[in-house]
Amino acid sequence: MARTLLRIPPLLAAILVAVLQTAVIGYMVESRASILRSGADIRLKTMPVDPRDLLRGDYVTLSYPISAIPGAIVAGAAPGQGERVRMAVRLKPGPDGLWTASEASFGTLQPQEGSVVLRTLPFQYYPGFEGALPETIFVSYGIERYYVPEGEGRVLEEARNQQELEVEARVSPAGTPQIARILLRGEPVYDEPLY
Amino acid sequence: MYRGRLERDLRHWTAAGLLDAPTAARLLKEYDSRESAFSVGRVLMIIAALLVSAAILLLVASNWEAIPRLARLVGIVGLIWGAYLAGGLLLARGAGRLAAAFLVIGTLAFGGAIALVGQMYHLSGDATQAMLVWFAGAVAAALLFRSGAVTTIAAFLAFAVAGNEWTQSGTDEALLVWLMPAMALVVVLLVRYTGAERTRHLAYLLLVAWLGLLYGEYERPATAVAIAAAGAAGYLLAALPQSPLRALARSAGAAPAFYSYLVLLLGLLLLHAEYDDAGGRLLLGVVTLAAAIGGIALSGRENGAVRYLGYLAFAAETLYLASETIGSILGTSGFFLVSGLVVALIAWAVIALERRFSARNAGEGA
Repeated sequence: MARTLLRIPPLLAAILVAVLQTAVIGYMVESRASILRSGADIRLKTMPVDPRDLLRGDYVTLSYPISAIPGAIVAGAAPGQGERVRMAVRLKPGPDGLWTASEASFGTLQPQEGSVVLRTLPFQYYPGFEGALPETIFVSYGIERYYVPEGEGRVLEEARNQQELEVEARVSPAGTPQIARILLRGEPVYDEPLY
Repeated sequence: MYRGRLERDLRHWTAAGLLDAPTAARLLKEYDSRESAFSVGRVLMIIAALLVSAAILLLVASNWEAIPRLARLVGIVGLIWGAYLAGGLLLARGAGRLAAAFLVIGTLAFGGAIALVGQMYHLSGDATQAMLVWFAGAVAAALLFRSGAVTTIAAFLAFAVAGNEWTQSGTDEALLVWLMPAMALVVVLLVRYTGAERTRHLAYLLLVAWLGLLYGEYERPATAVAIAAAGAAGYLLAALPQSPLRALARSAGAAPAFYSYLVLLLGLLLLHAEYDDAGGRLLLGVVTLAAAIGGIALSGRENGAVRYLGYLAFAAETLYLASETIGSILGTSGFFLVSGLVVALIAWAVIALERRFSARNAGEGA
């Protein structure tokens, strides 16, 4: 019968599917672990903004001063209305060890000594009055959530609300940031292992 | 359901002497032996697999510190391997029903593993991509195992992908516009390959939802008219006795007529949002009531799904007109009076025609 002829032997199918799905998970893990292992170090101040994700559990929302890009530091051409874009944002360390945005572009930014370039997540761009750049552009980087064991978000939230929370992240050469450590009053509270 | 009706009819025919009892028993036995027949054991097994999978997903979500996270990762990957190998072994031994349960656990555990990675590395944003990877993993499993149960999971995941993208802030509509029909096509192909016939409806519903999305993207009266017109054309092709495609559509069961009718009603619903003045309401009311009555008249006898959709559209439109009113309460009252008289006239004509037809058929039969 055609039905049985066409069928891949079930055990082979089991191994193929398991290998395939393990490879996908392995790739997802390694793409992040490699940033933690060898990415460039930056340190950011976080601000107050708690919720729960159905599949990933409780998390604390983190928002960063670098998520609000002043229009004044944007270099180069602006895209059209409603276009889906990503930005490159150059970060430089301040005297207090916290990194802030110094330059941003809708195109790419060349690497520069003493600075790190972050890529934002894609977002829809809407210009301000008469097509000018908006005063502030709000972007996200994919590091706006910190997942915590169930019921443990409270401590972090209170610290965050008193602006005592800092995040150390590592950045891949392509500009993808990855949370590496959470600092409470300058002391690490959560240190992220590679795996 | 169908089995209950079949059993009742067989008893009725046996009692009337049209059928002898052993034949009736054999017919019922043949129906029960079909693969698509309802089996309590299989359904309970899948429900158990879904409950176990939900436990796994929630265990991941709880981010329980008692298990180190590397152990969680290794554990869930091990679970994926165990579930697929068990499923494969059972399939090889011909225990398809039990195997399906293990394959369901494996596919859902894969989603748990994806969520775990997102949790481990605090990934925010773009959950759509994660859902899409899950969907792709389910499609691969359904394809390689030729599994109907996993095909159904994949179909639900297609909805999850679309729903996730749709509800998140900054929806990428351009992506959804081509992704939704693409996923529906993948599901339809999987259904053909695995024989999970009923899952086909999920793909059709995804396409209907896609039409709604298209309207959101191009929100103009012309879009709504086009959707309604396409639905009407499809429905008439599937249901009109004179249509050359009617035989083909009926060989695919109730679905072609039902879904094109659903698209027609969707288009009319969208038009209701476009025209909110008295004249527009009157015209749309007439068209919608005509569509409801037309569906009941054309397909009422052979297609229960269209008939109930027609009843629903009729009731909803009547309530809508009564609450919004055409001009004034008196005006609406007059509209219903005219509609009632027109429908009564049509009913009288149809009854007369039916009587003539049955008289002629009886004449030919004699």
